[in-house]
Amino acid sequence: MGLRRYIVKRGVDTTITFFIIIIINFLLPRLMPGDPVSRLIGTRVQMSYEERLALLKTYGLDKPLHEQFIVYLSNLFRGDLGVSLSRYPTPVIEVLMYGLPWTILLVGFSTFLAIIIGTILGIISGWRRGSKFDIASLVIALATYSTPVFWIGMLLIFFFAVRIRILPIGGAFDPELMVSTLSPTYVLNVLKHMVLPTVALTLILYGGQYLIVRSSIVEALTEDYILTAYAKGLKESTIMFKHAARNALLPAISYAAIEIGLIVAGAVLTETVFSWPGVGTIIYNAVSDRDYPVIQGAFFIIALSVLLANFIADIVYGVLDPRIRYG
Amino acid sequence: MTRSLKSRGYLATVRRLNTFWSIYKSNRLGMMGLIILLFFIFLAVFADLISPYNPYMFSINVYAPPSWEHILGTNDAGQDIFSELIHGARISLMVGFFSALISTVIGGAVGIFSGYFSRIDSLLMRVTDIFIVIPSFPLMILLAAYMGPSINTVIMVIGLLSWPYTARIIRSQVLSLKERVFVESAKVIGASDFYILRSYILPNIMPLLFANTILNVSGAIVSEAGLSFLGLSDVTYKSWGMILYFARIRGGFLKGAYWWFIPPGICITLVVLAFTLVGHALDEILNPRLRRR
Repeated sequence: MGLRRYIVKRGVDTTITFFIIIIINFLLPRLMPGDPVSRLIGTRVQMSYEERLALLKTYGLDKPLHEQFIVYLSNLFRGDLGVSLSRYPTPVIEVLMYGLPWTILLVGFSTFLAIIIGTILGIISGWRRGSKFDIASLVIALATYSTPVFWIGMLLIFFFAVRIRILPIGGAFDPELMVSTLSPTYVLNVLKHMVLPTVALTLILYGGQYLIVRSSIVEALTEDYILTAYAKGLKESTIMFKHAARNALLPAISYAAIEIGLIVAGAVLTETVFSWPGVGTIIYNAVSDRDYPVIQGAFFIIALSVLLANFIADIVYGVLDPRIRYG
Repeated sequence: MTRSLKSRGYLATVRRLNTFWSIYKSNRLGMMGLIILLFFIFLAVFADLISPYNPYMFSINVYAPPSWEHILGTNDAGQDIFSELIHGARISLMVGFFSALISTVIGGAVGIFSGYFSRIDSLLMRVTDIFIVIPSFPLMILLAAYMGPSINTVIMVIGLLSWPYTARIIRSQVLSLKERVFVESAKVIGASDFYILRSYILPNIMPLLFANTILNVSGAIVSEAGLSFLGLSDVTYKSWGMILYFARIRGGFLKGAYWWFIPPGICITLVVLAFTLVGHALDEILNPRLRRR
């Protein structure tokens, strides 16, 4: 299969999944037990009868299911994900779009760090398999991999923000700094708030990357080309990074795609503990307020991002490793 | 005649279990996991006998730091944390076990049918792939929010959304089993699909399913803790995640009550680690593809 056909095939698969996510998103609030109307537009005392009718009409809730779906689709493609119940009448999309950049900042940076740290530790560990360093880092990685991220967050807050007050308890910037211009004070303030959540998220994310890199290095070391490299008299560090690591890193690329579920779950919980104003905290607040349209919309945005990330990872992998295209 | 055959089968099983045990014993990490696990299972089973207090009983002795009277102190309602932890083991393990059971049954069924019946293979695998791509934790949150906080909801939601990887692993195993001589010859004799599945395929993937259930339990315990921490489970069932939820929303951890929020996290980590270690040890022994050559 050529690269182009491979990309087209992946594109078609992704599009199909995209539509299935849309259908799930449409059906869930309507098929769950309870009253879908109050779930989708809420029932507030101060809402007038006319107002309610208008909302019903906008979201097509007075029509049969298949017609509702058409209204839903056309709303969706205009970016209308409904209206927040707790912050009525703010549109859901506006609530989410406020949080998205914060989430991308935190999750992007932590994932990047986790991949770098996991890869380096994995290479060294796999290279010195069975050494004290290997055993120690293996146990630590397995332990952090098993630890709930929100608990790590609580520990960090307790030690660094409550006991020795050197870092803030939560949030993304001090409330008195309500300016969102990128002044140096503002940026520094945000960075200071970012330290602890980044550490927490990186700690639980690096383990998976580490384990994958380590095992593929161990496997790569049994290959003949390593022996050849030794026979040629190359330096150990050259063999380690240029020969073994290069070939072993391929499976690690798909790691981010496979473990993306872990990243998402970790992000939601980390943001909640640190009150980081991203999509995760928005979900948490929406859960406590029973603001269903916001939870629903957040799920949609997250599913979409994950789908896109998967598609990109697939393509990158296909470009780097031609074998995958024939699989 | 039948009896002697049966007893011979029994002896073979015992012999196989003995060999298995002697291999398992040599896996140091696996043994460590098993010991931790047995310890927590013991706590969970005998929770009522071991815990010094009723974990739901209020007292005026609030925020008491660890002392001889309360080994791990008390919380904002004067409840004994040590007793809460022991009873929490019961709930966390139970939720983990039942969710894992659901996901193993679904994943196992999908994997077997997909691997055995080539006609529905691509359809089932497509469905599985879609479930892999859809981020399960946010969907769990959404479903749990719609259905309202209840422990059964949490079990169902985790179980229904964690099966895809099991399905994949089982499918690939069934695919290779299907090509073996004993299955082929059974087909030639005219055995029905149902008979082959029951007598040849199922017994051969049982060990793998078992190892997978163990691994699924650890994932389920983490998910349960996360959902509880977000306040999506029943607050009257105090699992370890729920204890942490209370420690956070009641401000216990900002007030510096370290005895309240440190122990539950250690328990979750230990149990999840133990299940992972045991699961991987089993996988290494039972999964023919991982077995050391």
